[in-house]
Order: sequence, then structure tokens, then C-alpha cells
Amino acid sequence: MTNSAVEFEEKMRILVTSFAEKLPAKINEIELMWNQLQVERDTDTLEALHRQVHGLTGSGKTFGFPELSIVARELEQLLKGMVQNNSSADEQLTDQIQQRISALKIASKESRTDISQKMIQSPIADNLVTVFTNDSRLIFVVDDDEEAAEELVLQLSYYGYEVEAFNQLDTFRAAINKMPNAIVLIGVEFHEDKLAGIKVMREIQKDREHPVQVIFISAYDNLNYRLGAVRVGGSAYFTKPINSSELIDHLDSITLQQEQESYRVLIVDDSSAVLGYHAAVLEQAGMTVKKVLKPMEVMETLLEFDPDIILMDIYMPECSGIELAKVIRQLNNFVSIPIVYLSSENDFNTQLEAMSLGGDDFLVKPIDPHQLVSAVTMRVRRTRLLRSFMVRDGLTSLFNHTSIKEQLGREVVRSARLNTPLSFAMIDIDFFKKVNDTYGHSAGDRVIKSMSRLLKQRLRGTDIIGRYGGEEFAVILMDTDAPSAAKVIDEIRHVFSRLLHLSENEEFSVTFSCGIADLSHFPDEKSISEAADKALYQAKKKGRNQVVINSDSGGED
Amino acid sequence: MTEKLLRILYVEDEPDIQMVAKLSLESIGGFIVKACSSGDEAIQSAVEFEPQLILLDVMMPGMDGPTTLKRLREIPQIATIPVIFMTAKVQPEEIKQYKNLGAINVIAKPFDPMTLTAEIEESWEHYND
Repeated sequence: MTNSAVEFEEKMRILVTSFAEKLPAKINEIELMWNQLQVERDTDTLEALHRQVHGLTGSGKTFGFPELSIVARELEQLLKGMVQNNSSADEQLTDQIQQRISALKIASKESRTDISQKMIQSPIADNLVTVFTNDSRLIFVVDDDEEAAEELVLQLSYYGYEVEAFNQLDTFRAAINKMPNAIVLIGVEFHEDKLAGIKVMREIQKDREHPVQVIFISAYDNLNYRLGAVRVGGSAYFTKPINSSELIDHLDSITLQQEQESYRVLIVDDSSAVLGYHAAVLEQAGMTVKKVLKPMEVMETLLEFDPDIILMDIYMPECSGIELAKVIRQLNNFVSIPIVYLSSENDFNTQLEAMSLGGDDFLVKPIDPHQLVSAVTMRVRRTRLLRSFMVRDGLTSLFNHTSIKEQLGREVVRSARLNTPLSFAMIDIDFFKKVNDTYGHSAGDRVIKSMSRLLKQRLRGTDIIGRYGGEEFAVILMDTDAPSAAKVIDEIRHVFSRLLHLSENEEFSVTFSCGIADLSHFPDEKSISEAADKALYQAKKKGRNQVVINSDSGGED
Repeated sequence: MTEKLLRILYVEDEPDIQMVAKLSLESIGGFIVKACSSGDEAIQSAVEFEPQLILLDVMMPGMDGPTTLKRLREIPQIATIPVIFMTAKVQPEEIKQYKNLGAINVIAKPFDPMTLTAEIEESWEHYND
């Protein structure tokens, strides 16, 4: 941990301790004033008492006594009534106030043990490292219609969910108590009772601090049922026949906390000590940092590393940070990248000049580590959001055509340099036009989304997936040769062909064809993408619903 | 472009709270903070300190937050400086009332010392948008 963070925590701990030490005296004073008011009614004392309590409301939680804030707020409300009405407390009110004062005493002791714990947690890293809040993809399907339950289990399992079916409420009840992290997909009506599903969930949720995630299924779309479902924590309500695409969408939104790539920071500084320090601070916050000591080497690093943000020193030999920023801004890919200067420059005019020439902000050294992390985080978050609008496909939020091509170029260069394998796969849904013509465009869109979802779920986080065109997808598989890539995609092909899509109450299934080429046979961006395209054509010609590898480096069919 | 927030005038009568907030704003936020324990003190220090932002507790003995704001607004150099209120009363209509007095935001007490800075930065950016 950095020095100033330690220092902050140390100071914080002293303040918390001192607050905790003074607390009994404060509560004592509250009690004294209250007792005095019992003997003699006096507006000044009442106001002083009110203020003292108000102080606790506003401070308890800040110092790690959340309970204290809550009790004090209740007490404050009771006193406020007395102040406003200029009245004395009747017996009932007196009791309530006494009770709260006793509660204050307890609250002032209770939380003390975990203060230090609370305060020690570093505020930085927690926010940045992606956490899978719900790593379990376990789903309980509860329905007394055995056939329907089985069908649901099958469909969900295609999307990588682990599913267990229950036809009896008793067995389900026992299971959920053992595994409360499972997501429950439960019918509303059962043979024994029209609302059995809702009733059993009410009972299960009753004493839970973290409610069980539950989704309701019903044959009826009626407001009473829907209300009942919402009241016991139902996050969604689906009517039969279930639109499985929407169901999966909802499940994904609950479970699939999209793993965010760590922030990529490029730092340019001619002092290796300073460079190392800033890099360490950012790395500790979970970011990926690339250090560049010589400004003249920035260009080559820039293209390959593809940073989210650039931090640079202003005064460097060979060329200044200001000049460098100007050059970077002239590159098409980096017009919008945030550039932040780190400098001991305190002069406001120089700062202004620096910013007008292409920098976005100025941080004055020495920079507090918290400030550095928060400055970088804020800017990267914003830039990424903006960029996602430009590089993502609207329907699937996969990379769009332009950006997948850009990434292919970059990854080909990187893999060639590292001498690691790379495969490029082109996927095309078979007879997609017929799907649109027969079942309508919205059914077609759902097929596209299904395809995209399946790719996201079945491929690794490092694989790059794009929507190449209408029904065409492209995947870049890092560290993977063509035969291995073919194996993975073929499994996906198999699963995809068994998915049931829904249109106007009619179910249908769809297949896809795929062509794959790898870097060992086609060593540059252009040839690898042409080769994959040719293989895809071959797959279509051979009868579709299959994966074909192009290993013919001669380039003939 | 948003001017960087650096100088904050902070008015709070409760010494414990004042210290925590000051520490948090200085250490986490990297701000320069002038802390005052009363409205009177704030009115005396405001011009010389040249704050970019004023952070004002609502409930103080003597001169309360809203009154302090009114008096600060009468000082020409301070009249346009944005103000954030801090209060343990967070009823929506009260917040609205404070905003009508010209506050750019209202921060609820008890605050979390770890996120106070972020809250203030956010208000500042929002104000400057």
C-alpha cells in the first residue's frame, strides 16, 4: 500500500478512536438533559438536547456506528415533535424516548469492534477489480408440469446454465434452503393451490437478509398474479409459452456480470523512478500499465498496446510532452484518447497552453495516489462508454464490422511478434433469409441475438467476437490453432442447431456454417480473413451446418 | 472545460465531523480545505480564502446554514460561488427548499468519508456541465 494511503488510514483511525471515546460522555449528557426536562420543562434545554441528538444522527455512521445514526434519527423525530408543538411528553412518548436513549447506549458499544475493519478496506481497488457477484449459474426450475419443466431445463442447459428441475414444492423448499444462491424459476399455479408458487416464495423470502432471486412463470397474465409475484421479490414474470430468448436475456442480466477488461494506461516519463511509482499505483488499482521511458518510442507502443488513456510528463528530452500530444492527436485512431499531463509545472499559463495543444488535464506532481487513480478511472470510464457507441453493434453489442477488422489487424501483429497461434473464424447462419421470410424479422433478430449470446457464453473472455454483417459473425481466437478453434466452434454449432426459437407460437431451429483459417498458414490480416471467407464458402457448398478449415496456403479453392 | 476543483471552504460546527471531512477531502480528494466552525467565521474568511466551492452544514447553533448562505451571497466576491449543503435531514421537500436557496446539491449526513470526495466531484462536474 502507498504511503499516503497508510497515512490516511492512520489518521482516520485516530479520529474514529477519539470519537468512540467521547461517545459515552455525549450519551450521558443526552440522558442528563432528558432527566432534567422531566423535572422542569425548559425550551433551551430541549433545544440543546435536540441538537446533541441531531449531531449523533449526522455522525454515527461516518465513524462506523451505523446503528447509532438510526437510533438517533428516531429519537430526533420524537424530540422534534415536542419542540414544534411546544408540548411536554405524555407517558407513552416518555417511554419511547427512554427506550431510544437506552438503545443509544447499546449502539455506542456494539459497532465498536468492527470499526477498524471497516476503515481499513482500501477504497481504491474495490471499485475497479471486476467481481462476479453471482458466480453460480445454478437454476432451479419448479413446475408440477413435468414435461414443461424438462423442456425448460434442456433449453437453459444449452446456454451453459446448470439446471435442476423440481416437481414437488417440498423437495424444492429443502433444496433452496441449502443453496440459496440458486436462481429460482417457478410456476405460479400448482395442482394443490392456484397461488402455491407465490406462497412458497413468500415463506422462503420471509427471514432472508438477501432475498432469493426468483422469476415467475404462469399460464395467466393477470394483474393479481403479477402483483403477488412482485411482492415476494419476483424480478420477472413470463407467460407461457415462454419466449426463451427473453428469458435467457433476463437470466444473463442477473448472472453474467460482463467481465470488464482492465483499464489500459500508457505512461510516458523520462524519469524511471517516477514512472515506476505511478505505474505501481495504477497497477495496484487493477489497471494494466505500459511504461515508456523514451518519448520517441511512443508510436510503436501506442498502436500495439492500444491504451485507454495516456499520462505523460511535460518536460522530456528529445521532444516535449506537448509536442508529443499534438502528434498523437493527428493519428486517426487516437483523436479522442484522453491525454493527461503529469508535471511539477505549477504555472497556470503553461498548463493552459498545454491543454489547448491537445492535453485534457493536468496533474501536478507529487500526485496523491488516490487522486491519480480517481482521475484516470473517471476519464477511462467516460471514454470507454463513448467508444462503445462507436464500436459496438446495436442489436448484439458485439464489435461491429469496422472494429473487428481493426482488432484483427492488431492481434495478427501481436501474435506474429510473440510467435503464438491465432485463428480467425467466419460464421454465417444458414438460410437466414428464409427465417426472416417465414417467421418475420423480429424472429430473425432473436436468432441473431441467440447466436451472439451463445458465442459470448461458450467462448473465452480473451476471444474477440464481432457481428460482421447481417447474419454473419467473426471470431478472433487467440493462442489457438485452426484445429482447436474448429473443435470449439463445432461444439457451439452442435448446441446452436438444437436451440428452439419461437415465433407466433411456432418453434423452429436454425443451423450455421463456419470457415476457419489460422496464422500459421496465412500470416497477415488480409490473407487470413480471405482464407476464412473461402472456407466458409466451402462449408456452404458442402451442404451447410458444418465447420471447414482452410489449410491451403496456396490460396486456391 | 471544467475548471479543476481545488479550494473548498467548509463550514461545520461539530468538531469530530469537521475533522473527518477535512481529512477525507484533503487526503482522498487532494483539495485545499479551509474549515470554519461557524457561519460568522466563514463570512470573515471567505474573501481572503477565495474558495471555488462552499460546503455548508445546515444545522448550526447561532447562525444556521441557510442564513450563512444568505450573508455570504451579500459579499460581492462570494456571491456566485456554488454551495453544497450537508444535512442529516434529507426529506425531498427539504432538499428542494435548499436547492431553491441556490445550493447546487445536498449531501446527506452521515456521509461516508471514503466517498465524500467522489460525491463532491460529481456535484462539481454536474454544476459545470
